[in-house]
Formats: sequence, C-alpha cells, structure tokens
Amino acid sequence: MNVSPFILGISLAVLATVGAQTTNYTNFIRQKQLPSGVQWDMPVNSMGEDQSPMAINPGGAQFELWTVNGITSADYLLDSRYVGAYVPVATVAITSEDPYDVIPRTRADRPFNVTVMVDGLQLGNPEAPEAATKVQFLRHVQSYGTGGTGFGIDRTAATLKSQTYIETNGTEILNYSINSVPGADRTKVRGEERFSVFSLEDYQAPESQLASQFIQIWPIADGSLSGITSGELIRFKLPTVTLTLNDLYPDSHTYAQVYKGGPQLGKTGKIIPGSSLVVNDTVPQSRVLTLVDYDDAFDEDGQWTMELVTKTPFGLERLSYVSFNLDRTIEFNGSITSQE
Amino acid sequence: MKMKWISRTLGVSLVVLAAAPLGAEEPEMRDVATHDQLTEKLRAAAKENPTVKLRPSEGPDPTKVNRPESIVKSSDFLSFAGRATLVPKRAILHVPANMADRVKFVSGNQLMPFGDFFAMNRGWVTTFEVTRAQAEGNQPLPEDVIKRFQKSSNLVVAVFKGGPISVLPLKTPPDATATAGAKTPATPAPKKP
Repeated sequence: MNVSPFILGISLAVLATVGAQTTNYTNFIRQKQLPSGVQWDMPVNSMGEDQSPMAINPGGAQFELWTVNGITSADYLLDSRYVGAYVPVATVAITSEDPYDVIPRTRADRPFNVTVMVDGLQLGNPEAPEAATKVQFLRHVQSYGTGGTGFGIDRTAATLKSQTYIETNGTEILNYSINSVPGADRTKVRGEERFSVFSLEDYQAPESQLASQFIQIWPIADGSLSGITSGELIRFKLPTVTLTLNDLYPDSHTYAQVYKGGPQLGKTGKIIPGSSLVVNDTVPQSRVLTLVDYDDAFDEDGQWTMELVTKTPFGLERLSYVSFNLDRTIEFNGSITSQE
Repeated sequence: MKMKWISRTLGVSLVVLAAAPLGAEEPEMRDVATHDQLTEKLRAAAKENPTVKLRPSEGPDPTKVNRPESIVKSSDFLSFAGRATLVPKRAILHVPANMADRVKFVSGNQLMPFGDFFAMNRGWVTTFEVTRAQAEGNQPLPEDVIKRFQKSSNLVVAVFKGGPISVLPLKTPPDATATAGAKTPATPAPKKP
C-alpha cells in the first residue's frame, strides 16, 4: 500500500475547549484512518503539542478531540480535523479587541475578524475531482440561553447562518461589525459564532471538517444604584447604597465614582472605597455590593454625581448614574442673652 | 507528489495578516450601547455580509451529517481499583475469564488516558505492539503470539507506538478462495466477556 510518510503535527489546545474545564472530564484524541477504519488513541498529555507517529493513508485520517465524563460516561466531541495527502488544508483564526488568547471572545456590541486560509486546491486542473477544487465555508450561530456559559452545549443544535464555497487558495480576512447570535435583547445575547471549513464528499471520505474556530459572545453589563434617588437632598450621613451589577465582562474593572456637579460623561471622579470589583474569569459575573461609611469621599456640600463605571478591553463605559444634593453644614440659629 | 505535498503542508503556517482595525476611534468614556442601537447595527451588517462575494453552496449542513461516531460507543472501558480508561473496540485481544468484569464502565472511577492506566495496572494488563498492516487486517498476527495470548492470564491490549489501536479482522487474500481449507493464521477476534 502506498502510504504517505507524512507525519502530522497536531496541536492539543485542550484548555481552549469549554467542555474540558472540570475535573470529571478526561480528554482523548482518536485518529481514524480512512478508508480502512482503523482507530488509534494518541498517547497525549492534558496540554501541549505533539506529533502523530501514525503515518496517514492516502485516504486521509480524521483526528477527533473528545472529552468523556467519568461519572456519566457522556462524551462530547470538542474538535475534529480531517487531513490527508490529497485533501486541501485550511485554518480559521478569529480575533477581536479582547486580547484573551485561550478562547476568542468579544462582547455583544463589538466587531471581530475571521481569517480563513485555504491551500492545496487543485485549480486549473480539469481532471481534478470536485473535492480537490473547492471547500465549503460555514458560519453557525448558537445561543447559550439566559445565564448560559456554553458548558456542555450540543453544538449540533447550532443554526447554520451561511454556507458558501471557497474556490481559491489564499488567505481571506472577513470583518464582522457585530454578531448574529440569536436573542431578543441584542444587549444581552450570549453564545458563540463558529466558522468552519469542510471538504466535499469524495469516493474515499465523507464531507469532513478541515478547520474550525469559534468566538464567544458575552452580554453587555448593566448596573444600578439604589439607596439614593435623583435630586435627593442628603443631610448629614450618606445613606447605604446598593450596587447591583449584572453580566460584568470576564475581563473588567467596575467601580462607583463620585464627582462634584451634575452628570458629565467622561469626567473622572473619586472611587468610592468598597465599590471596586475586578473580574478576571472565563464567563461574565454578576454581583451585589453594599456601600456604607463612604462619607469621606465628599469634601464639600453641593450637587454631586455618583456613577457606575466599567472598564473592559473595549473601553470605559458608564452603566448608571445618579445626582443628588449634599448639605451637611449645621446652621445654628439662636440668640444669646445675658442676665445681669 | 509526495514531496510537494509535504513541503506544501509543513510550510503552511497560520498567517494572521493585519486585520482591519476593530472599532473606530472611540471617546474616552461612553454610555453602554442600547438594544435599539444594536438592532440598527445588525440590520446594517446584514447588508454588508463579508461572504457575499463567495458563491453560496447547497446541500445539508455538513456538521449535522456524517457526525463522528461517539467515542464511548466505539470503545471498550477497562475499570479496576477506582481507575478506568477506554480503548478502541477490537483493541482488546484477550480477556481472561476471571477479568471479564473489568471490561466495563464503572461510574465514578477516575478516567485517564490508557498510558496512565497501563502504568498502574501492569500486573494484569499486557500490551502487544502491532504493525499498521496487522491493525488494518492486511497481515496476520503470528500464530505463536496468538497461542501465547490464549494461555495468558493477563488481559492483552493491542498498541501502536504506545497507543491502543483497533485490530481489524484479517482480510481474506484474493487467492484464499482457491485454496479453501488451507490454514491461514488469523487475527483473533476480540474476545468479549
């Protein structure tokens, strides 16, 4: 049998998979030779990069990254690649304004770029089979649902948004100004967009995935200040204020600031002690903070504004604000008389 | 052709070209976007579909057809002393009768790659390194090896370069029908408990 000596370098970005983040799961990489059907499990570490020592047949091989639950024996296909000597190759990379490099991610209102590279198409060869002259480029969208994090989702339930052919070798950069994850409130969509390149079916192999990458879309944070009403006159001690923070971006710094005067977007104030919350996570977070004894932040009477601000890779944004009047001066009205 | 392929493939590296700047110049601080703003943005984006210049393809969603078979369904589990692993079906070449109950999934056992499991269970698991031709069923396993398996008190797993591998049934040579009755060493069918 004519066996290609090609050795495949396979990257095991195991941590780049949402389904592999809990200790009950174990990952396996299975190589399926085509068309023989021989199945082989690569000896792998939980993280890193290695080469498959099993040479690939002319028919190609399918590499599948699975995670299996040790309690339920449920299995999830995290990723797969079809490679072969006569199969086009492809890569898909997604970038956003968020530099986080484990899983591409962005926010519901932000743009992202998809870079797709295809090589190995046999162009200008009239005898080449159709599968060697073009590949399919797919865009899927899938919501995680209210409060969802994407863990354990069934990706076969994703909605196919578009399906096109790529018929030239080279690199293409596609700019998406906003996501299309389903959701009634566009500020609160949470889910993922997946871009994949698939080979066409031929006599040796079915349509198979050549490359795939997804980007997670997280909702825009919202927040509210309660305990002070707009225009309220506050005498003496500042009241307890409750900050309700929802869907804080996984990489964010959120705080309440105060400054003298009416609301003014972009003005820098004094951060109220106890209001600063740094999130460095993989999924959005929600919190409730209570502010007490923060009078020292106010150094004089008059109109003040308290703002809830969040800083993310996308910039500085105001979530909520309230203006009020402070009057802590004690005026003593009286008279002094003396008796002689 | 081979060399061309090799150089072509190995020469491929992900080239992240300078992408269009993400997000125009923005003010230092802004109010968060509203639903109405994003709805309008989405409507405008639909008109500027970046794949519009590509020819639409037809047919069923390839991600939903020809789904890879479940790894659990195409594997055998080995479980013992709180630990477990899985190997491709037909990778287990021999199961002694008294170890039949170890070829199953046990909930809660620590699941681990075969190499780790084997390192902890060498007392009752033996591996046998097969060739590609043997795994593909193009070459029989040596007869003496098969006899040795059958007498072994250990469970035997076929491996290739240390990884468990399925061993397909021996393909009948084209002239076998002409020499029917001739003794051909066979690859043992995986012994199931």
